[in-house]
Amino acid sequence: MNKKKIVLAEDNSTLSLLLKFRLEKEGYELFVATDGKQAVDLIESMSPDLILSDIMMPFVSGLEVISHLRNKLNLNTPIIVFSSAGQEEMVLKAFNLGANDFMGKPFSPNELVIRIKRLLGT
Amino acid sequence: MDTSSVKIILQILHYLFFGYAFASILSYIILSFISSKETIEYIKKRSFVNYKDILSSTISPSITIIAPAYNESLNIVENVRSLLSNHYVNYNVVIVNDGSKDDSLERLIKAYDLEKVHYIVNEKIATKPLRAGIFKSKNPAFEKLMVVDKENGGKADALNMGLNISTSKYVACIDVDCLLLEDALQKMIKPFLEVTDSKVIAAGGVIRIANSCEIRGGKLIDVNLPKNVLVQSQILEYLRAFLLGRMAWSRLNGLLVISGAFGIFDKEIAIAVGGYDTNTVGEDMEIIVRMRRYMEEKGEKYRVSYIPDPLCWTEAPDSYKVFISQRNRWTRGTIETLRKHRKIGFNPKYGWFGLVSYPYWLIFERLAPIFEAIGLIYFIILIVLQEVRWDFAISFFLLAYLFSVVFSIIALYSEELTFHQYKKKGTGFKLVLLSAIEPFVLHPFVLYAAIRGNYDYYFNKKKKWGNMVRKGLVNN
Amino acid sequence: MVDYQYIYDYYSNAPHLIQWVWWVSAILATGIVVLAICLKFIRSSLRRKSNEAAKFKTEYEALLIEYLYSGDESGKLTEPQKLIVSKIKDSIKTGFKRKLIVSVLYNLRNEVSGEMSDSIKTFYYETGLIHFAFERLKSKKWNIIAKGIGELRCFGIDEASHAIAPFINHPKSEVRSETHLYMVNLFLFEGLSFLDDLKVSLSEWIQIQLLETLQKFDNQEICDIRPWLNSKNDSVVLFALKLAQIYNQFEVKETLMDLLSHDNKEVRIKTIDVLAHLYGIEAKEMLKANFNELSLEEQISFFKLLEKLVAPDDEPFIEAYLFHKNFEIQLLALKILKEINFDKYIGLTKSSNDNKSLAMVKAVKVL
Repeated sequence: MNKKKIVLAEDNSTLSLLLKFRLEKEGYELFVATDGKQAVDLIESMSPDLILSDIMMPFVSGLEVISHLRNKLNLNTPIIVFSSAGQEEMVLKAFNLGANDFMGKPFSPNELVIRIKRLLGT
Repeated sequence: MDTSSVKIILQILHYLFFGYAFASILSYIILSFISSKETIEYIKKRSFVNYKDILSSTISPSITIIAPAYNESLNIVENVRSLLSNHYVNYNVVIVNDGSKDDSLERLIKAYDLEKVHYIVNEKIATKPLRAGIFKSKNPAFEKLMVVDKENGGKADALNMGLNISTSKYVACIDVDCLLLEDALQKMIKPFLEVTDSKVIAAGGVIRIANSCEIRGGKLIDVNLPKNVLVQSQILEYLRAFLLGRMAWSRLNGLLVISGAFGIFDKEIAIAVGGYDTNTVGEDMEIIVRMRRYMEEKGEKYRVSYIPDPLCWTEAPDSYKVFISQRNRWTRGTIETLRKHRKIGFNPKYGWFGLVSYPYWLIFERLAPIFEAIGLIYFIILIVLQEVRWDFAISFFLLAYLFSVVFSIIALYSEELTFHQYKKKGTGFKLVLLSAIEPFVLHPFVLYAAIRGNYDYYFNKKKKWGNMVRKGLVNN
Repeated sequence: MVDYQYIYDYYSNAPHLIQWVWWVSAILATGIVVLAICLKFIRSSLRRKSNEAAKFKTEYEALLIEYLYSGDESGKLTEPQKLIVSKIKDSIKTGFKRKLIVSVLYNLRNEVSGEMSDSIKTFYYETGLIHFAFERLKSKKWNIIAKGIGELRCFGIDEASHAIAPFINHPKSEVRSETHLYMVNLFLFEGLSFLDDLKVSLSEWIQIQLLETLQKFDNQEICDIRPWLNSKNDSVVLFALKLAQIYNQFEVKETLMDLLSHDNKEVRIKTIDVLAHLYGIEAKEMLKANFNELSLEEQISFFKLLEKLVAPDDEPFIEAYLFHKNFEIQLLALKILKEINFDKYIGLTKSSNDNKSLAMVKAVKVL
């Protein structure tokens, strides 16, 4: 069976590592980007099945990642965005741009796994 | 005149020069001490501040970035992208296209999906009229962006247009070719929100030199020391000016300049004083002096703050020709500002501002090149007359030289112990070496440009702007 | 030898001033050499430190994550977890490593919730890091105290509240801010009771942070904010006004009406904004009656309130301000008129005689 591929864009290295471990245990293949630019590169080269992205990231924001994916690459890959408290406005924008789901920080990794499974239909 | 009275005059002249040199060195020593105190305090404060809440809070105050652009089509799209990626929620970006003759506007329209919008401008400050109008993006990802196309009126006029258009509480005026780090706005807004016992009217940032640094997609990836000696010397000069000089003056609340390349202002006060002066080449210094004067005259307690973090990176001239014309302009700007506001100088009504800051600028910044030039001429005359006591001359030159090297090295220490931007191995040695040669490779040109500036100001009124030929920061 | 003799003779015959100059030059030259050498050492030690920091950071991140994933349902430490804790206990003896570990914990603690977050807290206890934070509170240096409080807040150590409470009015604003944040982070609205005893100004910076903190927790029962609205400390009043707005405190409307005649202009303006938000119709009539006594800023705020709460019978009042000299008032008046009586508004395009006003009327029309 082919492993489903996930691109994770998150600038907090500890959180990235934590999620990477957790999701790899669930049987996914993880590609970690530390900023939006890397995320875009990874998305283009790996064509993942799902994307996890923080909204606030160095240089290219999560919003731009979504915009790039939906408008420039014309892909329907499901996206879950992470937002911090007080970024409600950004979350709305993310949905307008085509995000599928969001997780407000702080979040529980278990809940994330459930949402991922739902989106990937496994 | 008999010889004895000539001797007395010469004697007085000597004492004057000694006194000036001594006072100027003393002021440097005092400023170094004050700046080290302030730096330590700043680092302590900075170490545990949590910016995260501020940047994501929707109730944090609104800021408008105003960036005037004139014929910047080469890099404008990339530069705007970097301005749009600041980590702060409540801000917008106003690009004022100041009658550019190139295709800046077309490029922006294409890159950011702009469309013309209806917008009523409150003309609180008179400016040149709009040309093509005001544009906003159709793409919600760029909703922070507004582009204003107006008739050419110069940088100050473009900034004034931005002040009229902004609906924010604060405005950040920057050069469009500057690279702003993502946390710039959060850090710069802090003093405005933090100080409770006086009103912060403006905050200035540090300008760092971006030549040879690796920049990709509007982001500073790697800091390098350039190869060009002129640029290297300017780096050292900037470190000295920002980390020693301005840091100390900020503690004394005596800052007279906020770099035109990056500063934040309380918009209400900037407008109350009438915005930028369009008749000077030194509008960035002039507005601060005017705002201070306004607050002094109103009798309100106020502050001009300063943030030493390396947040704004810009390209420095790498040819002597461009460098000299830039400094020439700075000199004229300083003269114009000080003359326009000479009422403040030595006036106890203006307190500390009138009795210390202004005189310091006048005597040790404005007049320093003049004193130096007169000294040199006098020295040459002595050589011609074969009246030089060479051991005197050499020992004093040596002393002055060594002092300047020591101050440069202190500035290097300050940099290493705070922001430590030049991390690469071997750079430290180069910087020390640079401290030793900088007085020979940079200072003579600074002096020359300043004298030229004085000459142009008094005898060549037609001269307005020095051209800055841009090579562009993007080396993709 | 002749040379030395010559130099010596020169030196002893030179004037004192010159002797002194040579001396200072010699000292400076030596100083430069020493400073340059020290700089080299500082630079290499900084470089070494940052490499080490990166190395240890990855190591500790891996350890922490291993710890987090090797827990079981029982809530007690498992064997592998105990092993990791004892490893960390060794490391935290050096200040440098302790700081790194705390920063790794810090990074994660803010991002995850639920059992994982509790697990991090347990880790903080078990490794003994908590004692170091308590020690910091006793320091004489303000920055150490502030850091200690910040750390205890981040890890949610509520038993520190007694040790921290005395810092509420600390002379250093950083210590104060950390204290206030601690109180609100751990005890939410109850923690705000420090406002009762606050003698100094609450800066805008800390107000924003406190409000952000409160908003992180949903479904909180807000307490009675009236005492703060009546506080003698103006900054507390302003803060309470923000609370009234964010938490839609309709029940304090009466207190707000009283604040319309507060001594502080800033308070009065903010009160009008809050009343507009809370649909304070009562305020509308009262402000309309006193309009001419208000300051310009209050008048502008009032027009913003009117824009929201306008009724047809306000039309005569608005008509008086259609050509007001203040741009904002004029703009608002025109907008409101356009809203409530479009026909009359169209009529304006014919009746207004000065060009500037006409341009404005036309511009508002297409808005």
